Amino acid sequence: MSALITPELLRRLEQFQLLAARRTKSSAKGERRSRARGQSVEFADHRNYTPGDDFRYLDWNLYGRLEKLFLKLYEEERELPVTIFLDASESMTFGTPRKFDFARQVAAAVGYVALCGFDRVNMITFPELSSTNNAGTPADNASLSRELAARGAIRSVRGKRSTIQFLQHLNHLTAQGSANLNETLRRGALQASQVGVAVVLSDFLDPTGYEEGLGALVARGFQVNAIQILAPEEWSPTSFGDLRLVDSESGVAQEITFGRFRLVNYQQTVQNFIQRLREFCQKRGVHFFMCPSDSSLEELLLKHLREAEVWG
Amino acid sequence: MSFLAPIAFWFAFTIPVVIVFYLLKRRRVVRVVPSTLLWQRFLAETQASAPFQKLRHNWLLILQLLLLLLAILALARPYLSAKTIGGRTMVVILDTSASMQATDESPSRFEKARIEALRLVDSMHDNDTMYVLQAAASTEVKQSATREKSALRRALQGAAVTDTGTHLKEALKLAETLVQNNSRAEIHLFSDGAVGALDGFDNSGLPLEFHRIGRRANNLAITSLDVRANPENPAQRAVFANVVNFSTNAHQTEIEFRLDDRIVETKPLTLAPGETSPQVFLAGQEHSSGVFSMRLTGKDDLALDDQASVVSLLPQHSKVLLVTGGNRFLEKALRAAQNIELTIAPTVTESSSQFDVVVLDGVVPATWPTGNVLVINVANPAWFEKPGRLDAPPIVDWKGSHPLLRFVSFDNVQIGQSLAVKTPQWAVSLVDSPQTPLILAGELGRQRIVWVGFDTLQSTWPLRISFPIFVANAMDWLSPTAINAAQLAVQAGNPFRLALAQQINSVELTRPDNTTRLLPVDVARGEFVFGETTRQGVYRLKAGTNDVVFCVNLLDSSESNIEPKNELRFGQYSKAATVSLRQANMELWRWIALAGLCVLMVEWWWYHRRTV
Repeated sequence: MSALITPELLRRLEQFQLLAARRTKSSAKGERRSRARGQSVEFADHRNYTPGDDFRYLDWNLYGRLEKLFLKLYEEERELPVTIFLDASESMTFGTPRKFDFARQVAAAVGYVALCGFDRVNMITFPELSSTNNAGTPADNASLSRELAARGAIRSVRGKRSTIQFLQHLNHLTAQGSANLNETLRRGALQASQVGVAVVLSDFLDPTGYEEGLGALVARGFQVNAIQILAPEEWSPTSFGDLRLVDSESGVAQEITFGRFRLVNYQQTVQNFIQRLREFCQKRGVHFFMCPSDSSLEELLLKHLREAEVWG
Repeated sequence: MSFLAPIAFWFAFTIPVVIVFYLLKRRRVVRVVPSTLLWQRFLAETQASAPFQKLRHNWLLILQLLLLLLAILALARPYLSAKTIGGRTMVVILDTSASMQATDESPSRFEKARIEALRLVDSMHDNDTMYVLQAAASTEVKQSATREKSALRRALQGAAVTDTGTHLKEALKLAETLVQNNSRAEIHLFSDGAVGALDGFDNSGLPLEFHRIGRRANNLAITSLDVRANPENPAQRAVFANVVNFSTNAHQTEIEFRLDDRIVETKPLTLAPGETSPQVFLAGQEHSSGVFSMRLTGKDDLALDDQASVVSLLPQHSKVLLVTGGNRFLEKALRAAQNIELTIAPTVTESSSQFDVVVLDGVVPATWPTGNVLVINVANPAWFEKPGRLDAPPIVDWKGSHPLLRFVSFDNVQIGQSLAVKTPQWAVSLVDSPQTPLILAGELGRQRIVWVGFDTLQSTWPLRISFPIFVANAMDWLSPTAINAAQLAVQAGNPFRLALAQQINSVELTRPDNTTRLLPVDVARGEFVFGETTRQGVYRLKAGTNDVVFCVNLLDSSESNIEPKNELRFGQYSKAATVSLRQANMELWRWIALAGLCVLMVEWWWYHRRTV
């Protein structure tokens, strides 16, 4: 079906359903329990009859015993909006396999599970592509417009029958440019009409930080899952000596003299960075996962996400 | 603080070079990374844990500059002048005699001695002073008192072994004066102990430390060599040699007899330990003059004394004038002597200068002959002060070792009357009575004189067999050709003298190694003296129209006896025993400096290891 995820894995993912800790607040009908009262088979409560209520919902058995009119209320089943923030910045193109590929696979899996559960999937790919900046060859323009189309197509997807298209569009995405994680998450939180589950796929290596954005999502009421994807060479560098390191996104250069002697210190720094992010997430009830891009996708999807009760 | 070598401060100009190296920018490899965020944090964290991290490069620079400054300071050799207790005074006597050429130590005894002496120099304290003496036939001061180890090492390196005997006495006397009244003095003798007698140091209490060099005695040597007319056939030349085995085991060898590099004869020899074997070779008339040499073909530790050469001159008749009032005994004795043309005259005439030897028997000449003379019962006033008369002087002693008294005995000789004189400085007394010398012999200027102080006819001597022998000996000794032959055999280290008939300014000398030198001659002295006879072999001299060949030989049995001595005896009572190892302060600073250098290298390597 798709190069992103093997059919075998898709088959296994079909068994899952995203678990929402809170009742959904979506207005669209779906398969999720919600606080809203409406039409379903699930009894919720009684209330006094007021003139104009639909007689069909009167509890006649109760009227028989108490001679008072009560209305039977049922839970309205609504959909769960799943917002996926996919980091498609330049820094995601590093690593073997590429961090971006791993992120797309996770995004595909999460989207697939959501779509199978009749939930809405909002895919926010950042940074935004600006067509004005790209004044290149016609071929470039063509690929740009295809990319834009793909991004637009998966911005909001619903229904199991959209899965194939969803996966195909995901396949067309590319990573480039410089991202601002905080800004993207904050705007996503503000713009969401209905809150639900948010999945943030990024390396979180943003010079402006991640705290504000994640905090905005939590404050808006999203149930946030943060998945950090790092390349193996970020974990243990392979270049030594007198180096001039150039940031792929900002172009900022950093001169450093680095040797194997200091590898342990560097890894400690990386560990500290991850630990700070993990602690930030734990304090705010955000599920946090750290995956090197060469780690096992199955293990993340079938084991860690399940254990953390992201889905079940 | 002052500096011994302030010129080293010029090295300070290297300091800017080091700084310039630091100013040069490092070439960095450019790498694009996903994000420099982690690297910035890494730098921030490591710098936070090491507050001087920023200064790391500067610290290296400062350290290197410091190191350079220290090196320059050390090169400038600063010193502090302060009062210290005087150090030891050490006198190193290095034996450079022939026996030190023995190869029982590797590569030779002399090299071993030099290495040990250098080790002694290494162990010197800063305020110790040392002299270096080189003792062979003559003593040479290679280095006067100094604390400079480099100068001492240079002096030791400059010492060279010779082919001569050892006159250690001279060196010890010099050392004794050098260390006199110094309680912290040490005399270090590096020798194998093959030295002559050392009488005269009995009670001097020399602070001598004898470093014995050598391990064994394995040596065959020719200890004497002479050439004469064959007593049985005067037409032939007889060459006498003494071969001695100084080893502790028997040796088999061959002795080669050569004339001018042609082998004339070869004899096998077997010598028991310590055995002396006299060898006689006869050479016919056809090879009568030239250079005879002997060589032992066997291999031993000291090759030098395995050969010796001697110059053979054809015997020449000497003209003798006998001035006498009539003495048949003397006349007969003179006629019996070989190679003599005898003329008898009653008085000394002016023609006496034509004669090689003049014999004055009781006749006072009007003018004293200037040639060699045998004077009997006459006192030359130029020789003696106030000669007196003595009746019946008894003969109490005579010097049998003198060539004049060879095979001569004065047993049963009575003398009626003799002249009473004091022994002059130029002569030695051969026969003594308690009051006066009776026979004197000596050399005054270049005139050889034999003086007999009594009338032979007034004694029983002419009746004894010793009288004609003495006369023959005297004629031999006085004969100019005999003098010549003796002069042509020089013991290594002794000077060679040659009377010059012509007036010449320089002579050309060819040494055994075929190097030729032009040597100046002191015309006024009428004699050529050559003192550098430290190498054994045949020397050829071109003096005007004359060609003279002379031989330098070791021929010293005390040198050839190379058995290492465990102690040196000074006369009867005192001795110096071998010292083996003793406490010494070996300087370590070189090793520490080397370690410092290694640490520096490791530091550099370590620094670079961090970057790769």
